[in-house]
Amino acid sequence: MTTRALAGLRVVEMTEAWAGPVGASLLGDMGADVVKVESYPRSSMTRPVRPREATMPGDGPPYERDALHHQGNRNKRNVCLDIRTEGGAEVLRRLIAGADLFIEGYSSGTIERLGFGWDAVHEINPRACMISLAGWGVAGLYAGKVTLGAGLDATCGHMSVRGYPDGPMEDVRSNFHSDATGAATTVCAAITALEQRERTGEGCFTDFSQWEGLVWQFPGLLSEWTMNGRLPDRLGNRDPHIVPHGVYRASGDDEWVAVAAEDDEQWAALASALGHGEWAREPHAWATLTGRLRAREAVDRAITTATRERSAFDLAEAVQAAGAICAPVVSSSQVLMSPQLQAREWNHIIEHRWTGPAMVGGFLWQVEPDPLTWDRPTALVGEHNEEVLIELGYSAPEIADLLSAGAIADGYPQPGGAPRSPGLQRRAGDS
Amino acid sequence: MSGEVFRGLRVVELSEVWAGPFGCSLLGDLGADVVKLETYPRNSETRPLREPDPRVADGDGPVYERVNTHHHGNRNKRNVAVDIRTEEGAEILRRLIRWGDVLVESFSAGTLARMGFGWEVVHELNPRLTMVSLAGWGQEGPYDGYIMFGVGFDAMTGHASVRGYPDGTMSDVIPILHSDATVPLAWIFGVVGALMERERSGEGSRLDLAQIEELSTNVPHLIAEWTLNHRLPQRLGDSDPHVVPHGCYRAAGADAWVNIAAETDNQWAALAGVAGHPEWAEDGHPWASAAGRVRDRDAVDAAVTAYAGSADAWAIADALQEAGVIAAPVLAPGDPLLSPQLHAREWFQAVDHPFLPDRLLGGFLWRMRPDSPSWDRRAALLGEHNDEVLLELGYAPDEIARLRRADVIGNRYPDPA
Amino acid sequence: MQPLVGLRVVEVGGTLAAGVATKRYSDFGARVIKVEPPTGGEIRRLAPFPDDRPHLDTGAMHMAFDTGKRSLALDLSTPSGREVLDRVLADADLLIAHQPVPELRALLRRVDSESGPCTVAITAHGLDGPYAERIENDLTLFGWSTRAHRHSVQGREPLRYAPQVGMIQVANTAGMLGLVAVWGRRQDGRRRDVEVAGVEALMGNVDSSFFLWAVNGAVQPRSAGLYRGIYPMGAYPCKDGHVLFSAARHPFFTNLCRVIGHPEAAFDPRFTDPSQRADHFEEFRAMLEPWLAVRTKYDIFHEMQEAGVMCAPVLDASEVMTDPQSVARRSYVTVAQPGPGDEPIEVTVPAAPYRMNGLHSDRWQAHAAPRLGEHTGEILDELGYSRDEQIALFRAGVTG
Repeated sequence: MTTRALAGLRVVEMTEAWAGPVGASLLGDMGADVVKVESYPRSSMTRPVRPREATMPGDGPPYERDALHHQGNRNKRNVCLDIRTEGGAEVLRRLIAGADLFIEGYSSGTIERLGFGWDAVHEINPRACMISLAGWGVAGLYAGKVTLGAGLDATCGHMSVRGYPDGPMEDVRSNFHSDATGAATTVCAAITALEQRERTGEGCFTDFSQWEGLVWQFPGLLSEWTMNGRLPDRLGNRDPHIVPHGVYRASGDDEWVAVAAEDDEQWAALASALGHGEWAREPHAWATLTGRLRAREAVDRAITTATRERSAFDLAEAVQAAGAICAPVVSSSQVLMSPQLQAREWNHIIEHRWTGPAMVGGFLWQVEPDPLTWDRPTALVGEHNEEVLIELGYSAPEIADLLSAGAIADGYPQPGGAPRSPGLQRRAGDS
Repeated sequence: MSGEVFRGLRVVELSEVWAGPFGCSLLGDLGADVVKLETYPRNSETRPLREPDPRVADGDGPVYERVNTHHHGNRNKRNVAVDIRTEEGAEILRRLIRWGDVLVESFSAGTLARMGFGWEVVHELNPRLTMVSLAGWGQEGPYDGYIMFGVGFDAMTGHASVRGYPDGTMSDVIPILHSDATVPLAWIFGVVGALMERERSGEGSRLDLAQIEELSTNVPHLIAEWTLNHRLPQRLGDSDPHVVPHGCYRAAGADAWVNIAAETDNQWAALAGVAGHPEWAEDGHPWASAAGRVRDRDAVDAAVTAYAGSADAWAIADALQEAGVIAAPVLAPGDPLLSPQLHAREWFQAVDHPFLPDRLLGGFLWRMRPDSPSWDRRAALLGEHNDEVLLELGYAPDEIARLRRADVIGNRYPDPA
Repeated sequence: MQPLVGLRVVEVGGTLAAGVATKRYSDFGARVIKVEPPTGGEIRRLAPFPDDRPHLDTGAMHMAFDTGKRSLALDLSTPSGREVLDRVLADADLLIAHQPVPELRALLRRVDSESGPCTVAITAHGLDGPYAERIENDLTLFGWSTRAHRHSVQGREPLRYAPQVGMIQVANTAGMLGLVAVWGRRQDGRRRDVEVAGVEALMGNVDSSFFLWAVNGAVQPRSAGLYRGIYPMGAYPCKDGHVLFSAARHPFFTNLCRVIGHPEAAFDPRFTDPSQRADHFEEFRAMLEPWLAVRTKYDIFHEMQEAGVMCAPVLDASEVMTDPQSVARRSYVTVAQPGPGDEPIEVTVPAAPYRMNGLHSDRWQAHAAPRLGEHTGEILDELGYSRDEQIALFRAGVTG
């Protein structure tokens, strides 16, 4: 049974990349009817028209085989609109008119220019709630500025503390942490807005700055400055107040194990698991927290001496059994072998028209008694144009007209290929 | 090894009953040279002259040497019996004051001053001496001259009003002498502080201890009920409003009782297990939580009572303690001699006394390494050290003989018959 | 200058007894570090609380007994916590500890060197012997020490006194001995270790009935408060409550008889001959109680005292602070105690146990009791711990 926590909730999602799409999928996981409005004729970042690293093998257009897109767009229906056309705009108006929630993720000011700012949305449907996910927020000075998660990571101070303690900023890898946190925040914002509507009867607008949402994840970084006038250090895997706390070399080639002993009890467990119970026995200098802090380098060396003789997985088993924190640093492929994830049946094998069966990661949480299920694999571009438009009151001839006028579409032109023709994908996919 | 801490410290005791004398014995336990100046020729309250008296042990010899309250509170001292109301007796006291480091007196406020030994006089005689006064209500205040034993201070600190059975009347509350137990502990602390101060200043101090005040420092929670919550503390008996079970339960046997308390869920679970009802402490059972036990106090007490009645008090306490529960038999006066613990620690003291039956007396309040106390001197007989002490004070033997003939000093009270 | 200035005392355990034992040190000028578990020890958890709302900083026992101390919240079950304690003790003159006996033994071993502080170990049954590891509380100490038996009525359950009073006495015994031990070391240079067993400390002091029994086999009757054999002794009703007498013997009895208008009774063998007295108790009451019934307890108190009779009014907790003598001597003082809110709590606590060199000299001072862990940082600074080390200890839950 699919969870029905949000059954009956109608969501229109017009976002790209990760934070918005996944936020909408999380709503879909819980039973909401999510209609994703896909951009046309420009294809989104996760709908590349040329193959790229993340393109999964198979036939069919590359924009239907993108791994990132597959992982972030489950449990939705898909309509593909050119809302710059009046026909496309009218479809969106009708979608909003019947929706409880409209989520958009354009840069600040864009959606207003397209005619679907909060005032317009509220006019169309006074009960609809709207969430905007602009990178730095809708209100403020940064109208029109565009970014992905990496830019937000850089501007919130996180990037300056990541990486190797002795490395230059150029070596610090980009990450997209705001996308991970933004998706969950979107769900929270959605439920909060709908709760408010329950009381007021009127929709409301949520200006969710992904930047602010990200800063909020790092109160410690900010406080080092505000409370102590000091910039936080680039620590690598170290913790200034816990020794040991790091990633240590294990026996295999480029094999690593993460180890931490957060208090004396865990340290005693770790020491015994590594065959050095004496390290934790008073009056050994390392038996106390402050003793270990003072001997950080020596402790790290001693642990490495012990860990590099054993495999990361064996170490994790042994240390955890003793009662300390230890985990193998796993590669993507090793995730699939995790007996824990297998026991929980976390991975899903999803059948998709163009990629065939593919293993994908599972849900962020489970709900009793009606567990989440992967009811809809990632939809094809415009896959539900007809179904959705009929629900919106369009007749079959009207839909055909919109398709031929390019107001709706079900595929993107191939680079260097033939000019796009209406119904391209449908003909390619179906007999 | 005897106590060494106060080796060389000279203490003059002018006090009766317990709070003064017992404290002086504790100083003696710690090595001080204590001279008890006993009232003479009038006998003190705790030196009755006549039998029958429930306080007096069987035996020959003077009645006043066989009083049960006398012996523990007067060990490790010397004894002189002096009539200080005579000028020659007063001179002996003056010499003792010059000799001493500490003077302890427990007359009612003003009495000693009227006898010519107020603080100014004493301080003039020996500026290095610390004088401890133990008048019930202290040296200053409207109750100048009032007299009382510990039972009265207990009544006036609010303590008596919360003791006794919850359903009992005030007249049922048994008088106790708790201030006598605690006051010596306080004034000895004060004496050491005064000695420390003397190291800096060269001068002795005046300690004015009001026994009622000292007792009140032991029961601050009683007034707190009033000052914090404007409510009078309740007469609780053995119960605790916040701990269930907490009480005295009837054990098997005649008039046998066992104290039991389970202060935590763990202790309760252990008790439930020992009582054969582990389910009492399992999740879901109303008694599994501290709040549930408080709500169900009567039922829990009934259940514990049923268990406690299944064996004798010592066996119940042994079984509960083995499991980690607070429990103890309630001992009748002679029962401590049954305690393997007290014997293992060699607590009881065999004391040789010319007029007492051969019995084991109670031991000391503490052990100290390297110099634990020992019962070096039994309670001295009246005036036993008159000659010895007066010689040290510079009296010649013929002067001492004359003082004895003049009845300024003595070593026996007149026969009441 | 306060008498104990310069003395450095460390209290370990966080229990009621540990807190009571060190109170007089801080009040008389010593520096007391209260080492207590980061979760808050027993003394902070004992009622009463203002408005009956439990809070670690506002328990009456804590506010009364922890005055003027500094609080170091430290988990001594970890090597890291013990290392901090080692450093605290390296500078101390005296350690007073009340912990479960196995932990106490380990603690005492750590400081057992000539340079270590003097120690006082508070236990129920001592550090050795078959009962050493038993756990007892105030109630069971009463049971063991024969005091409960004495404090009871035949056929009914034996009683303790007011809650915790026995434990407080044990603690004051220990507190007194700590200062004694420090003094002894100053005299002869020898470090001293004191061990106080609660059962022994109670049974070796007054109100133990073993004590009397040991000398002459006397067993006090388990009877109600009014003694029928030696009277008047106990609380008698009067116009507005009760007065308590301890006037069974001459001269008090003689004086009392005169005051109540029956001077002849003092020479009547029915009331003076020990073998007859008990049989005539009710006759005596019939003389005394009508006289009491028309007088207030304070009137009786003054009239009896003027005549030389040991008599006292029975006061409840609301009355003790307004007693004229308490007021005149300022026997209770108010301390501003930091509470959970913005406003300090005004707490009334008993004043000095004795007045040293003047009724209101500065020798004794009661300052606010510390909030849990209030001085942890300050003390760790003094001990030379870097701030990162302090955070590490805090992060691991060793300090609080």
